[in-house]
Amino acid sequence: MSEEQKKDEAHDQGEHGGGSVKQYIMVFVALCVLTSASFFTYSPYWPFQETPSVGWAFMMAVSCTKALLVMLFFMHLLWEANWKYVLTFPAAMMSVFLVLMLWPDGKMRTSNYSEQRRLHAAEPKDPGDAADEHHENHEPPHNGTEHGHRH
Amino acid sequence: MAHDESEHHGHLKLEYQPGLPMSNGKLIVWLFLSTEIMFFAALIGTYIVIRFGAPAGSWPTPADVHLSEPIGAFNTFVLICSSVTIVLCLDAIHAHKAFLAKRWLIATFLLGGVFLGVKGYEYKQKFSHGIYPRKPRSLIHERANLEYAASVRSLLKEMRAGLDKKKADGELTHEEKEQLDNYTILLNGVVIPAEQVASDPDRSSAERQAALVHLAEYVNGSHGGHGHHDGSMEFPFAAGLQSEKSMLLVEQTQLKNQLKEKPQKEEPQEDPDGDTSSGSQTKTPLDPVQTRLNKIRDRLKGIDKLSSMEHSMNEDFKLHLPIVLPSGNMWASTYFLLTGFHAIHVLVGLIVFVIGILMKLGPEKAGFIENTGLYWHFVDLVWIFLFPLLYLF
Repeated sequence: MSEEQKKDEAHDQGEHGGGSVKQYIMVFVALCVLTSASFFTYSPYWPFQETPSVGWAFMMAVSCTKALLVMLFFMHLLWEANWKYVLTFPAAMMSVFLVLMLWPDGKMRTSNYSEQRRLHAAEPKDPGDAADEHHENHEPPHNGTEHGHRH
Repeated sequence: MAHDESEHHGHLKLEYQPGLPMSNGKLIVWLFLSTEIMFFAALIGTYIVIRFGAPAGSWPTPADVHLSEPIGAFNTFVLICSSVTIVLCLDAIHAHKAFLAKRWLIATFLLGGVFLGVKGYEYKQKFSHGIYPRKPRSLIHERANLEYAASVRSLLKEMRAGLDKKKADGELTHEEKEQLDNYTILLNGVVIPAEQVASDPDRSSAERQAALVHLAEYVNGSHGGHGHHDGSMEFPFAAGLQSEKSMLLVEQTQLKNQLKEKPQKEEPQEDPDGDTSSGSQTKTPLDPVQTRLNKIRDRLKGIDKLSSMEHSMNEDFKLHLPIVLPSGNMWASTYFLLTGFHAIHVLVGLIVFVIGILMKLGPEKAGFIENTGLYWHFVDLVWIFLFPLLYLF
């Protein structure tokens, strides 16, 4: 039991010097503000209505900020020793790798579609496309990206 | 401590140091969290590939799949609150306030329960619209084609047959009678004519495709395209329906006059099933004309029914007909996969909270609470990323 008591003391001295309740509440308020901010892309004041990718980048930035706040304050990493870098730095590298790895399969997937492949791809929802004349067969006509990006 | 842990190998005095300045439990939890990060990174990566790799404009909008962003935001808020309460619980344990710590722990548990409850409500909403992760329960079709029309027709027929049976037994309530009428009108006046136009080889392929697309719109409404969010459905094909109606009325009067003028012929002429061509009017015996009149009457009833609709067939008549959602099945698969696994993690967290609530809390349990908190914060982190990805993108 004595060993445990000593460990508890080290525990108390080392970590309780960290977060105060006031800090936690401030982080909580910041998280709520950030969550509402992620809805800002939906408001009429959002200046980038035409380019949805800016909105996505903004939302990802908001999410990363929220994640950082939770990790630093709630998970106590701000007050931890240097081992936190052993954990976080490779994870951050892996997240960059993930994006790079998935970029060809994700964003660029439909750029090199053959006509045959495009025939079987999902179609945009606008029923105006169906009014166009298409070739005579039983397959529903494909629309591909003729009508541009429609998000 | 050094006294216990040093060994004497002759003149050597070895002292063992802890590898990392934390308890084994905490180290293990961090290692576990890193495996969980990899797990969710795989799932989220899959979702990103599928969602952004879908052809432009073909991913369902939140309105299409009955996804409510405010509910998602509320869930986010609930989880953030629960993160705060678990951290305050740890704080209380450090301050030797065991009673307060237990109260915070119970609060965290309750908030987690609220999250799961709201998630369950959301799932129920999806299920009630026929959005399931997979067939056979999933009523989502990728495109409006003949297979779709056939499945709508067969489902509607089944439902009508069910009520017909009750009618034969004489047990119909007033609402059920109305429903039976609706089924018959919709079947004969909307679905079957659409299917017949679509499979008619004499029509142009544009007309045939249009009939199927219109059917899909009538069944499910067009939330993302032309519909308004206040619920009123702007009928994009209203003009087409009205002109069809006037043409049919003209044809109807013509045929009725024909019936009156022609003497009754006794020729038992066989009318092949599904013959929609109206070219059999000139020298017709009685049956095809009457059949055609019946078809016109059914179609007119169907048109009137459609024109009186507010939203869509599924909504107005409380049906559960198959719907057309491009990439809808992909959406359902990824949505249920991501949120389902996250909900399982929340459930595991709740079980751990119960264990903590049943324990006697004190400073010696600080490690347990801290590790629980780490896991719970991770669950919150995953949701922080899932929420914009699923709801806002």
